[in-house]
Amino acid sequence: MKTQAKIIALTVLTVLLLDITVASVLRVAQQQGRLGALVQYFEYGRSVPGKIERWREQPGLPGNLRDVAWRDDLVAESQAAFATEADAPRVRTYGMSFVNDILRSASALDPDMVVDAHAGPAAPPNFTFAAFEDDAMNRRPGDVVVLGILSSSVHGMAALSNRTWLFEQPAPFTYPIYRPSSDGLTRIDPLVASLEDEDALRADPNALSEWNEQLHREDSFFSPVTFGGVWLDHSPFMRLVRRAFASGVMTSRSKSVLSQPADGGFPYEETLRRMAVAFSDRARADGQVPVVFLIQSRSPGDPDLRNILVETLESAEIPYLATADYYDVRNPSGFLADGHYRKSVNALFAEAFLELRDANGARSRD
Amino acid sequence: MLFTQPIFWVFFVIVSALYVLLPHRGQNRMLLVASYVFYGAWDWRFLSLILLSTVVDYLVGLRMARENVETRRRWLLTVSLVVNLGMLAVFKYLGFFVDSFQQLLLSVGYEADPFALSIVLPVGISFYTFQTLSYTIDIYRKQLEPTQDPLDFALFVAFFPQLVAGPIERARNLLPNISAPRQLSWDALGRGAVLCLIGLIKKVVIADAIAPSVDAVYGSPDASRLDIIFATWLFAIQIYCDFSGYTDIARGVAKMLGFRLMRNFAQPYFAADPQEFWRRWHISLSTWLKDYLYIPLGGNRSGRWGTYRNLMATMTLGGLWHGAAWNFVLWGLYQGMLLSLHRALSGRHRRVGEGEKRSLLGWLWRGLAIIAFFQVVCYGWLLFRAQSFEQIQDFTLRLAGLNATMPAGFSVPGPPLAAILAMAFVFAWDVLIERSGNVRFYASWPLPVRAALYAGMIYLLAFGATTQTSNFIYFQF
Repeated sequence: MKTQAKIIALTVLTVLLLDITVASVLRVAQQQGRLGALVQYFEYGRSVPGKIERWREQPGLPGNLRDVAWRDDLVAESQAAFATEADAPRVRTYGMSFVNDILRSASALDPDMVVDAHAGPAAPPNFTFAAFEDDAMNRRPGDVVVLGILSSSVHGMAALSNRTWLFEQPAPFTYPIYRPSSDGLTRIDPLVASLEDEDALRADPNALSEWNEQLHREDSFFSPVTFGGVWLDHSPFMRLVRRAFASGVMTSRSKSVLSQPADGGFPYEETLRRMAVAFSDRARADGQVPVVFLIQSRSPGDPDLRNILVETLESAEIPYLATADYYDVRNPSGFLADGHYRKSVNALFAEAFLELRDANGARSRD
Repeated sequence: MLFTQPIFWVFFVIVSALYVLLPHRGQNRMLLVASYVFYGAWDWRFLSLILLSTVVDYLVGLRMARENVETRRRWLLTVSLVVNLGMLAVFKYLGFFVDSFQQLLLSVGYEADPFALSIVLPVGISFYTFQTLSYTIDIYRKQLEPTQDPLDFALFVAFFPQLVAGPIERARNLLPNISAPRQLSWDALGRGAVLCLIGLIKKVVIADAIAPSVDAVYGSPDASRLDIIFATWLFAIQIYCDFSGYTDIARGVAKMLGFRLMRNFAQPYFAADPQEFWRRWHISLSTWLKDYLYIPLGGNRSGRWGTYRNLMATMTLGGLWHGAAWNFVLWGLYQGMLLSLHRALSGRHRRVGEGEKRSLLGWLWRGLAIIAFFQVVCYGWLLFRAQSFEQIQDFTLRLAGLNATMPAGFSVPGPPLAAILAMAFVFAWDVLIERSGNVRFYASWPLPVRAALYAGMIYLLAFGATTQTSNFIYFQF
């Protein structure tokens, strides 16, 4: 037993020494701007409040997502541009990088097309729909309006912010949660709606506590594993351990949200259908051409957007572009390492979009 | 409840705490309850199958030992075979055979009323049925005395560390370990912990991390030749790390409780020929097939062609044991063909590198033979992993460069850094075992070096434990 106790003590001590060494190496590497990918790998396991605070303290850090995609800012920018832009229809998109990539390819094919893009990283449909709703005054009749729905972000519909469901890249921007109700959709707005609100939390413990309570109550992904024990962030080893646990927690919560779309974790299928119809009704009422993008990403566990939405879209005669109609996601050769589509594949989607636009009689040229 | 999930380790801590407090009989009863809880966590309904198998084989064993009339003994053995193989036939193969029969009728122009059997496969059924069968067969052969204690026998059938994916233990190994009091020791605890650690590294850091790369190619409608080669190499690593990782954890957990489970893998990819491979891969199944199928069929005592026939039959059934699908049958046939071919050639050629093992040339030849034979094994894994017969045909044509429309590029997502480091670590681990001939090669190392090894392993596990854990591949068998 003596030997075993010695080994256990020595092993624990060695893990501790190894941890201190790794922490020192990472600090030096970061200061010297070396080993970027490795440093980032260890950063993934930092707690969510730890990551957001670090981004606040060091705004120049690569991959800083603290300031991006706050809807107030998007709408304000949109408003400023709207006030000065020519009075002519254009394509206004509410989506994420996938939508931006397609429109970039479309612009290459039709250089006269003007695009006004509103996007958030890995934005879930509740973000894109809320941005569409909030930006209503900054659109004109005749505009083509694109609502992007990304399959790998659908489970984010049960969240109030990317910070809760995207542990490794917890962009703190917020959005409402929508749920089906007797008169369409009920919108639950987050208590933190802007970067100013986010900053104010630091000085107001009551507001912070209310915000955490709202996350706990409404957000299916808020977890002590990702938000608690901020002090553990000092240890690279504990960050790795946290990342492993967080990965398990996020996977199980995502499964739970997606497992019973009718009445279980979150009625996302019905919410998506109602969103698509509400989007189309509103756009048409404002004299615009609605187009829904159903973007199927390469993850095999994603909900099948075509399956969920096409019947609704076709019966309401809503123009749509389903990427699955043009590219088989089982073929890995069409994807970049980060999961985005390659340019050649985006060109296929872009061509389809332009045909769709023209077929629906949109005038999108200045 | 997977070995890779925290809930299993909470369960194991509770079981261990109760275990040290209880006397020997109490330990066995508690382990039996724990095993049923462990299995019931998947699907409690299938406990009835384990109970049926347990009751039938216990009673058959007792009765057979008292029976002297050969025909009656044979009848009793038949009861055991019918019950266990019948369970397998219904729950594992019925859907497959009905489907295949319908396809056959369709191919000759007769359309049968299509109906689908939605039978859920009980996890681990192939493992525990083979384990209990070995008990009754050994009693029939008078190689084993039956146990008198029904609860000890029930624990032999359901012992949770190896219940769902083996090793397929023989009663003569495991039952004495159950019946006699076990010694708990700090040494066994340490050895068990190291086995669990290496098993977790294999499963979590390697197998689960490279699975998406393999899935991407085997799910792709348009993979290139390079994609297929690389993905199949990765699958060879994945299935080894997945299955041997499970076995390591099973043996580690059992060892901590004072049990000795058999080794199921002995560095299989260091084999230079098919016979050597099957002495190193899934040892508990290959020895089971040899003892209870190959030898009763006549083994190598039936002349040259009879031996080939026996090898083909044994390996084809071994393939079918893995799953109710034609690709497993094909994989079994392929293994049988390799063994037959090897037997045919080895009569005239000595084993590669043999006799020159200590010379540089001997090592060189052996190294080349290992690398070459690994490619042969990998083609077998292609048959094993393929999703359909059409995919086997398609991938084979692409490998042979006979698909004109095939893309030329390479699109397999690379494994993560942690997986690459862990692969290098496991390779070194296997080399050290192979060279020393000792699975505990590290035991003689100085304490600080051993502590550094364990600390490195713990850190490596944390470094790579970020991927999504998935079921063990062999759970489906």
